[in-house]
Amino acid sequence: MLPYYLRLAMRSFGRNPGITALMVLAIALGIAVCVMTLTVYHAMSGNPIWWKNDRLYAVTMDNWDPQHPLYPGRDLPPPEMTYKDTQFLLTSSIPLRKVVMYPTEGVVSGVGRESAAQVATRVTTADFFAMFEVPFLYGNGWSAGADRPPEPVIVLSRRENDKLFGGANSVGRALRWNDHEFRVIGVLNDWWPRPRYYDLNGGSFQLPDDAYIPYGWGVELELLNRTENDCWRPEKLDNFRDYLASDCVWQQMWVELPDAASRERFQSFMDGYWAEQRKAGRFERPKNNHLTNVAHWLRDNQVVDKDNRVLVGLAFAFLALCLINTVGLLLARFLSGAAVTGIRRALGASRGQIFLQLLVEVAALAVLGASLGLGLAALGLTAVHHVYVAAHLGQRGGYQELMHFDAVGVVWALALALVVTLAAGAYPAWRIGRLSPAVYLKSQ
Amino acid sequence: MSLSVRPILLALLRNRTGAVLVAAQVAIALAVLTNAAYIIVQRIERIHRPTGIDEQNIFVIESAGFTGRFRQTASVREDLTYLRGLSGVIAATATNSIPLSEGGNNDTLVTRPDAPRTGYINDMEIDEHGLDALGAHLVAGRNFRADEIQPALTKADISRFVPTIIVSRALGEHLFPHESPLGRQVWDASGHPATIVGVVDPIMGNFPGSEHPDWVYFLPRMPQEFIVVRYLVRTQPGERAALMRVVEAHLAASNPDRVINFVRPLSYFKNLSYLDDSSMEMYLLTVTMLVVAVTSLGIFALATFNVSIRTKQIGTRRALGARRRDIVHYFLIENGLITGAGVVSGCALALAAGYWLSTHYALPRLELYYLVGGVLALCGLGQLAAWQPARRAAAVPPAVATRTV
Repeated sequence: MLPYYLRLAMRSFGRNPGITALMVLAIALGIAVCVMTLTVYHAMSGNPIWWKNDRLYAVTMDNWDPQHPLYPGRDLPPPEMTYKDTQFLLTSSIPLRKVVMYPTEGVVSGVGRESAAQVATRVTTADFFAMFEVPFLYGNGWSAGADRPPEPVIVLSRRENDKLFGGANSVGRALRWNDHEFRVIGVLNDWWPRPRYYDLNGGSFQLPDDAYIPYGWGVELELLNRTENDCWRPEKLDNFRDYLASDCVWQQMWVELPDAASRERFQSFMDGYWAEQRKAGRFERPKNNHLTNVAHWLRDNQVVDKDNRVLVGLAFAFLALCLINTVGLLLARFLSGAAVTGIRRALGASRGQIFLQLLVEVAALAVLGASLGLGLAALGLTAVHHVYVAAHLGQRGGYQELMHFDAVGVVWALALALVVTLAAGAYPAWRIGRLSPAVYLKSQ
Repeated sequence: MSLSVRPILLALLRNRTGAVLVAAQVAIALAVLTNAAYIIVQRIERIHRPTGIDEQNIFVIESAGFTGRFRQTASVREDLTYLRGLSGVIAATATNSIPLSEGGNNDTLVTRPDAPRTGYINDMEIDEHGLDALGAHLVAGRNFRADEIQPALTKADISRFVPTIIVSRALGEHLFPHESPLGRQVWDASGHPATIVGVVDPIMGNFPGSEHPDWVYFLPRMPQEFIVVRYLVRTQPGERAALMRVVEAHLAASNPDRVINFVRPLSYFKNLSYLDDSSMEMYLLTVTMLVVAVTSLGIFALATFNVSIRTKQIGTRRALGARRRDIVHYFLIENGLITGAGVVSGCALALAAGYWLSTHYALPRLELYYLVGGVLALCGLGQLAAWQPARRAAAVPPAVATRTV
């Protein structure tokens, strides 16, 4: 029966090519706009390490100005911590892994004829790679012993290794970082968590850093945070030692706590430290010590901006408009073919069969619309890509690959198109099926 | 007009579904159109707020020393001498931060040495050529003098302040409401005083996205020694691109102890800061145009369908004496009724959407004249879309009435 219905549908399309094209276009546009918007939204709202959502926590403590919260109206501590607080928390053996880190400026030189160039560098404790599950192409990270006193070892991103060493296994090779001799110990494989949850400063979709050096170099070479150095307390800051002892926040801390019990223990460890420090005159704001999992961290830092939610709403309003349009056109089309339907009914077709036949026609439209819609969405995403790439030209990171069109997106779009168009087409099909055949068998 | 609305309305009510669907489209279209237009206009206004900066003729250089031999003060002096000596350069300054880039310094500034801190205010380090390099206009007081420019902060004296500052007019009004800020003293977080010697207006600082982007003050100081140095170079109109190439080639080779991270037009940083706004604008514009197109096509298709199934009826009316004009009027009035019903419900929908946007997304409440504009636009659009089918209907010859189908 189905092939016959399909043939009928094709014949019907052939009779009204204009209206058919209009309907396919309406479905396609609605689907394209929805898929584009959802793809972008999905990319922005994803949790790139969801499987560790109940283990991985950002550590924050509110050491800020008692008179002015850092974020007026939002009850959140600063996203970074002071050096001294992270040093104390690092002494705890409760977390399975613990990372204190910050991004800094570095210039790499001394590799062959390659001219010196700035390389975004992260100063971090050794657990970074294991904790955030960073894949290695060659070699590996350093052990905790290399953090302090710091060993002159460096891990490069794949991009940087391609640039400096033409992609060869560079483990053991020497280079100069800020004019100090370092030895390559590992090269990362392609790795780009989006959003870059572990450091959201300067844009949530930045590329990860291109070089990583042991944490102890931060103090040894007096390295500052490249993006965030926030101070509030009027205190003496006459040298780097003063800065380390200050209430300035610039260090990022994450811990991996394998279960609820360890989480509670670490929380009370933090709270105990907080209470002690408070007695000594620090932490003048109400207690606001947090262990925040990745999902909440992304929400607190407003990674999905409000514009995007508005756009999702708009996309669905547009889809609704397109579908209503399609329903209207389908109804008109089915009504104008009602005489034929009447004859088929009179010759013994049941209401169910008529309904099914018309639904097959709707489904064929949906498939056409969805395919065209996917094509349009791909075009649209390419356009978005060009806009962002043009704007970011020369800038690290950005939206380039954010917009790629994944298989999941395609399946989604097809399902969406089929379900909504069928649902929308069911009404006109049902109405025509219910018409009394006699009316349409009379001459007009 | 020989036709009254009543029979048209009655005919419509007997065959509602198609009309209801078109009215629903018009309603959604109105809601989308008005709110989108409102948001677009707000974004455009935001992007085009006056900055007081000669954005089109400035480029930015970032230089980073990386060896123990690097001497920042000497390097900056040498670079500035080179830049100022180029023909086509109006002015150049060294600075710690890039205007309009969403990156820079905020510090405390209060009007009494013992006053409680009141949030953070954007500041920029420039020299005596700084205002000129920005293209900023001094509206009161004087510019910095060359002998006033302080040496760069080093890691050994991070909390040093300056004796004089220049403020934006907006900041001056914030600090000293209803008084001239000229000659007044202000204090930094550590209680060091400075005197306000000049007022600039209009001016936008480093943070276009902040609550008060025009609260900014300038410090007469060489840029901090432990951060990369930026130069702002303002050129004669039309010479920026050529100068950028020359400058990049020269500076990259002039000192082996530093690297030039980039040489970029200032507009690059402004565009990045407003990327969300401009992409939102573009997206809304595209979807709004699609909404209008789809709705017009829907109206057009329904009218065409109505005409085609009523051929015989139209022929009969023509045979009974209706003029072509009457037929056209019939379909236009019918369309007006449908669109009218659509815009009435659309107004409610638009206001509801506007309310939702204003409560959930802190957008200002929809201005009513957008709604009026939207209603007029959609009614006009409806008539336009129904025009061609109505003309086709009018062309039906009266003889059709006498034929059997």
